[in-house]
Parts: sequence; structure tokens; C-alpha cells
Amino acid sequence: MNKKIGVYVCECGPNIPERIDIDKVIEELSSMGEVKTVKRYSLLCSNDGKKFLKEDIEKEELTHVVVAACSPKEHENTFMKVCEEAGMNPYLFQMVNIREQCAWMIPDKEEATSKAIKYIKAGVHRVLFHDPLKQKELEINVDVLVIGGGISGIEASLSLAGPNRKIHLVEKTDSLGGMAGKLSQILPHQGSKIKLVKEKIEQVENNENIHVYTSSDVKEVRGFLGNFEAVVKSNQENKEGIEEEIKVGAVVLATGFEMFDLKENPVYGYGEIENVVSALEFEEMIHSEKIELKNGKKPKSVALVHCAGRKEKGYCSKVCCLYTLKFAHYLKDNLPDVDVKELYMDLCLPHKQDQSYFDQAKEKGVEFIRMDEVEKIKKSGDKIEVEYRNNDKADKVSVDMVVIAPAMVPSQDTSHLAELLNLPLDKSGFFKELHEMLDPVATPMEGVYITGCALGPRNIPESMTQSHATSGKILSSLIPGRKVKPEVKVSEIKEDLCTGCQTCLSVCFYGAISYDPFKGVSVVNEAICRGCGSCVGSCPSGAIRSKHFTYYQLYQEVMEALR
Amino acid sequence: MSNNQKETKNYPNKGKSLPVEKSIKDTVFNIFKKALEENIFDALLIPAKVPDTDAYSWILLQDESLFDIADPLPPVMTVQGGRALSSFSKNGELGLKIAALLRPCEARAVIELFKLHQVDLDNMTLITIDCPGAMPLADYMNDPKKIADSFKKISEKWEISESLRPACQNCHRFSLMDGTGPDLHIGLLGENNKVTLIANSPEGNDLLEKLGFESKDSLDKWKTEKEKLVKEKTKKRESFLKEWQEKTKNPDGFFNELNKCINCHNCMNACPICYCQQCYFDSQMINFKPEIYLKKSREKGALRFPLNTMLFHIGRMSHMVLSCVACGACEDACPVSIPVGRLFSMVGDKTQKQFDYVPGLNREDPLPLQIFKEDEFCEVETPNECEEKATEEVK
Repeated sequence: MNKKIGVYVCECGPNIPERIDIDKVIEELSSMGEVKTVKRYSLLCSNDGKKFLKEDIEKEELTHVVVAACSPKEHENTFMKVCEEAGMNPYLFQMVNIREQCAWMIPDKEEATSKAIKYIKAGVHRVLFHDPLKQKELEINVDVLVIGGGISGIEASLSLAGPNRKIHLVEKTDSLGGMAGKLSQILPHQGSKIKLVKEKIEQVENNENIHVYTSSDVKEVRGFLGNFEAVVKSNQENKEGIEEEIKVGAVVLATGFEMFDLKENPVYGYGEIENVVSALEFEEMIHSEKIELKNGKKPKSVALVHCAGRKEKGYCSKVCCLYTLKFAHYLKDNLPDVDVKELYMDLCLPHKQDQSYFDQAKEKGVEFIRMDEVEKIKKSGDKIEVEYRNNDKADKVSVDMVVIAPAMVPSQDTSHLAELLNLPLDKSGFFKELHEMLDPVATPMEGVYITGCALGPRNIPESMTQSHATSGKILSSLIPGRKVKPEVKVSEIKEDLCTGCQTCLSVCFYGAISYDPFKGVSVVNEAICRGCGSCVGSCPSGAIRSKHFTYYQLYQEVMEALR
Repeated sequence: MSNNQKETKNYPNKGKSLPVEKSIKDTVFNIFKKALEENIFDALLIPAKVPDTDAYSWILLQDESLFDIADPLPPVMTVQGGRALSSFSKNGELGLKIAALLRPCEARAVIELFKLHQVDLDNMTLITIDCPGAMPLADYMNDPKKIADSFKKISEKWEISESLRPACQNCHRFSLMDGTGPDLHIGLLGENNKVTLIANSPEGNDLLEKLGFESKDSLDKWKTEKEKLVKEKTKKRESFLKEWQEKTKNPDGFFNELNKCINCHNCMNACPICYCQQCYFDSQMINFKPEIYLKKSREKGALRFPLNTMLFHIGRMSHMVLSCVACGACEDACPVSIPVGRLFSMVGDKTQKQFDYVPGLNREDPLPLQIFKEDEFCEVETPNECEEKATEEVK
């Protein structure tokens, strides 16, 4: 088949002709051997422009098309689609960026024109070596893997599960509920003593579309939106070590948080001194309705120490102020004579109801003491002394009981899962969202979402909202019956050159390459490969090529650009 | 494997000294014979002299009568042991327990090939031996008897003779190093008329136990002698590096050394690390249409053929030099006497240091280009930050 190339120069309004002499470009390009036609158009990406392009491709019976216009990031897909509509293979198309890389870069018109000509010629030479790649379509799997059975994971599972969609909910401990399940009561303005978590767990257990794996870990995840393969390993007694392979279309990480280990900093005396308890232990006391000292007596005075671990970790954990206020209210309501002191670095009262909740505590006689840092918590006779510093002045309070509110830190599995899924972590070790403001539950891995405290400290309503957001993202992309188009420009391995050294396995970001021990060669899973080309560069034997970035294509392009 | 290797770091503490009765060879072979008889291993990879010729080759020995032709330290290195071992163990699952007696540089090549999945070390016992060096292959082929005789004298005295291969003259890694390379080392240095068996891994220890040897003899004497020689040879190596860095300090100096190249690719075929199925420089990828050559020739005035002779060496170097064990096989194989081994060893020395990497030292050290360390080469990527960090550290 004779190659007939069409070159289309887009003016992009005034953007390109202001700096590039398009007539000269046309004149230069017309003399190239395989170029059948060179045309200019005012705005090729407009509806009229696309119509013109389609009709012209058909009229000239073109086999290859080069469009010289803006950045391929902007309109490569647009024009590939037009080529396809005109009956061409869309991969026999090449986009040349003469706007950002020529017109906007070079003030001198002659220079910009000559660079544009070189670039377009390079594109023409490259496109001659393009292969007509075929787009495949894959059925999507609409099921979802939710990792973490805390309130965020539960809510995501409940809002996603349906007759068309199975949810696999994996929890590492032996029961659902997570941290929220350990709380005695939700804050009063959020409805006091709601059995929210319990009810939710019941709903999960009664939902036939949610498969719960307790005492289990996710060992492997690979794939992309619509097609993930995961391995869940059970640590349950009598099922220990049993691995189950599941296929899903999306992954939700709801791995939550852990409490800062108070033993890490000896000033708190935690674990050493009697009646110095952590917030979670105090929650248990409330739960059992037994606020008692070790000797069985009721405390006469309690210090609630905020911000433990805040300096070490470098962030505010956001929820501690409110739950210590909750403790203060509880103490005042249930032990009317108790003296309650709250020691805080900064108060975090961001929600509309928080201020009045704080004011009410004050009215009940809770004393609020500002401090820079706890210096030492120590035993002094029957009492416990909390020594602190405020504005370089040392001071202390003497109480019967100390409740410490530790910072929220990433759960143990975070770094392991980040490695498994190639996800970035932020400075404090929590998962990092794709964009804090604009895409707060997405990740750089398409089809992997994060919700709740896995992203950092937040309260239950916020976690719920995020789980709903995550569900929204998944419901709008994983529609039953829809097909996904996997990357076409993938890598391929030439078996007779591959020595099986497996270097490519170690550099593949997506886990798309495996080793075939029978043939002694590496194999690319085209459904997972994203065509990044890392393996191509790493192969010591030159056995791997990227289908749309072959040696000859690049060579021709570079040689022509440098001519 | 990894657990074992941690333990291995503690090796060696003590060894087993054996008196030499007839000859070193005889003493060493008696150990192997016993191991074969008692099925401690099923076969032994060892160099042997091909009967009625002057040729040396590798044999996978199972019949004890063949010890007559075997030689633990032949005067020449014909085929690099790493290459020999890879040729039969690449596809894994040997089934048999195999021991390989190698020179230290050959064992280092094996470790590099292990990291590249080109050898299988399950069921494989690597045994190394203190190496006095080897003679240049071309010299030996000219007059085998004379060269074999002078090698005998050189090796008895552990002389750093000028008639040894240049790679061997400049080799400071001729003995056991502090790493997880071989399982067992045979020390020849130290007390006269004694051979010292040194376990360097749990497997090596196991082997000695099975042979009925207790590792309780002191290694002090062997260590002292070894370190003395290492020091001497390191000095020699440093002066070699200095001399050649001076010679090749500009590109012309470097390329002038390679100018004699006839593009035979023998160096590549002899190199144990060059493990590609097909070299890019042997492929069709480097051939263009005649018109392109004519055009290039017009542009430059003339074009030298065959093309890519220099590029071949540079390309090969960039691919394998981080794993270069400086065995000198390439230089031995060169028909036009290019000091290719010295050039590679010199470049290898510098590049390997950049990554704090010693090829073949530890089985568990990853290949430098397969891992990413954030602070590596920060002086190139972010020089300012790097400087700040350095000053902070000093503070």
C-alpha cells in the first residue's frame, strides 16, 4: 500500500500564525516525498475543524496523518478519534507541538518557523514507521475490594453493595468496627449514645452482597481500574495461611489510624504510673460506667492532657479536643464533685456546635489551662503531678487521675500497602491524596481510592462523607456492562533476545511483568502494562520494545529533528 | 537464603588445616574424592587438561579416575569458570548436588550471574582457592611447556611476576574476602605444606562436618600471609590504576588503545558477565541502508569500517562494567593484544566505587542499577541541597 500522508497545520486562532509563517511551512512540507497534502485550518479542534479534517482524510484517501498544533496532552485524543471516524487506524497519526514548543517559545518568527518545519518533518518521518495498533476492549469487573473494616470501610461497603456489585471487605482484626467501634458514645450534638457502629455492622453482616474477611490481610494487588487481581490471606485459626484470589474493579483503602504510643515519650509516665490512662482506656471506663481509680475509689480530680505526640508527629490530630471535652462533660455529669482540668496546647473547635459545647463545659466548672509542653507526669504521694511549662514559666497541677489524648498516627499496614499499590505517602506517613482540594479521595493509581483516617486525622462525620465520595467515584466509573480500553502502547518482549535476568521485573511500577520459568523469559501482561517504558530502558539485552515508541520511530524522529 | 546469609557474615572463625603429603593437588583431590564417594556432592566442576594436548577445559567430574587429568590451578584460564557454570545451571533445578572449584574471580562472576538469574545456586557449593594468578593464554600457546614450568615456579613463591596476565598482576582479590561469596575456601597461603579449609557459609560448615573435619585450627597464619600479599598487590594495583588513568585521561588516549580492534567480539564472548542471548552489536539493528553510509561518509569526508567498533566497547562497558570482576578473560581472548581487561578494570574500579559496590562480594547486595537510593548522586541532581545536607551533617 502506498503511503499517503496528510499534514494539517492548525492556526490555533492567532497563537500560531503570529510567530510562525505557515505558508512557508506548507511550501517546505509539500516537497516531501510521501506527503500527499499540506493544509492549514484556523481552529482544527473546533467542530467545523474536526468535520473538515474527517472529510479531507476521506477525500484525499490518506493513510497517515500529522497534525501540527498544540500540545498532544490537549488534543491528541481529539484528532486520533477523528482519524478513526474517517476510517483510518488512529495510531497512524502523529501530533506535533508547534504552539508550546515553537510559537510560544521563540520570539523570532524566522527561527520559530524553521524549528516548526523541523519538528513537523520529524513527525512525518516518525509516522511512516508507526504500526497500526489495535485497540482492545476488556469487560469490567464492578466488584470492589475494601481494605479496613472500620467505620469508613463499613460505610463505603454499605453504599456500594448492591445486586450487581459484590463487595469484599477485608479486616485485619477478628471483628468489624475499628476505632469508632471502641467509642463509648458519639458527641451529644451528633446524637447521644447512638449505636451507630453496631447498627452498621449488623447491616454489613446482613447484606448478602458484602463478603467479610476478618483476621485477613491483602497480600497482593495488581491491575487497574476495572480489572484488579488481589490475594487475600487469612490469619484466622483453622484457616491460617489460606489464600484466596479475588477479582475486583476498584480498591478502597480504609485502613484508618492507630494511637501514638505514649510509651515512646517517657515524660507521660504512661505504663509506669497508676491512674495515668490513655483516652481509649477512659472510653472503656465510660463504656462500663465505672470511673474508678486503681484502689476502687472515685477520682476527686482529673487532668485531661491534650496534644500528646503532637510535637513528635508535627500535626494536630483534630478530634482530641472534642472527645476530651466529651470526657469533661461526662465527668461533671456523673461525678458532680469532681475537679476537671484540661491542659491543652491549642484548642481545635472547628465545627459550628463546638463553641457552645466548650462554653457549656466552662459553665460546668471545667478549668482550661494553656501550656506549651508537658514536662513530666510523676507520682507524688497519693496524687499525680502534671508538670508543664507555659511561656517559659513552669507550673503544675496535682490530681488523682490523668487521661492522656494521644495523637493519631498511620496504621501499621499503611507503608506496606503503599508499597503494594505504588501509592505515595505524605510526610507524616499517611496516604497522600491525588489532590488535597480537588481530588481528595483519589490516588495516582486509577481505580484505587482512600477514605477516612488513612488520609490523616479526621472525625467520624468527615470519614463518612469521604466514604460516600469514594462510592460516588466508583459508581460513576464502574457501570455494569461498560468496557474499559486497556493501554495499547504497551511493551513487548522479544523472547529470543530475553535472557531471563528479570531486571525488568524489578523496575516495573505496575507489576505488569512476570517470569515464565518454563521458557526462561519475562512476560508482559498487556492488561496491566501502562506503556511507561521503564522496562525498555532497563533491559540489558535490548529485548523489550515499546509498541508505539520503537527504536526506528524514535531514531527517525530524532534524526530528522536534528538534521 | 537470606537468613543463612546473615549468619555467614560471622564466617570464618576457624579452619581445618591438613598436612600436604604428596602434593597440594593430591591433598585437595583426596577431599573431593571422599566427598564424591560419600555422596556429599554428586559432581565436581573443575578445570582439567585434555589428554594428549596442552588444552585446558572444564569438566563436570563424576568418575573418580578423571582426577588424573584435573587441575585445581591450571597455568591458564581458558574459559572463565562463571561462564562454564552458567552454561549448565542457568535453567535451575539441578537435581544433583554440585560443587564447583573456582578461582576467586570466577566465583565473583558466578555471584554476579546469580543476581542476573543466569546461574542457580541451590544445590551448588562454591569452593574457591587462593589463586597465584595465571599466565597469558597467547604465551602459553606459543610454548606450553616453558610457560607451565615458569607458572609452577611463580605459584610456589606467590611471586607478582611480570610474566603473569596483567589482570592477575593487578589483582588484590585473589583470596577469600569478607563477604558471602563462596561456601568453602581452600587456603594455600600460611604454613608451608599445609592446606587450610575455611568454611564461609553454613553450607560450607555442613560440608566440612560431613567430611568429618572439625573447624578448630587457627587461621591466624593464613590471614597474616594473605593480608601481607593483599597489601602488596593493592599497592601494585594502585600504581597500575594511576598509570592507566594518566594514559587515558583524555578521550583520545582511551580510544587510541582501542584503535587496533578488529571487531571480532572475542572479548564479549569470553566475558562471563556478557550474558545476553544476542548482543545488540551482533544484531541487524545496527545495519542501515547503503545510502545512509554514503551520506555519512560525504558529511564526514570518510567513514571507517566496520562501523561501531568503538561504540561496541563503550556500549559493552556501560552495560557490564558495574559487574566487572576484573578476571582479564577479555584481554586473554583479544587477538590483537588490546589491553581491554585493564581498561575495563580501571573504569570498573571507579564506577563501582561510586555505588559502594564490589561485584561478587555479597550474594545479597543488589545490583546498583536495579535499586534507587534517594541520596545517591545527589551532588549531580541537586548540588545545592546536597551541599547543605553535608554541612548539616558536619555540624
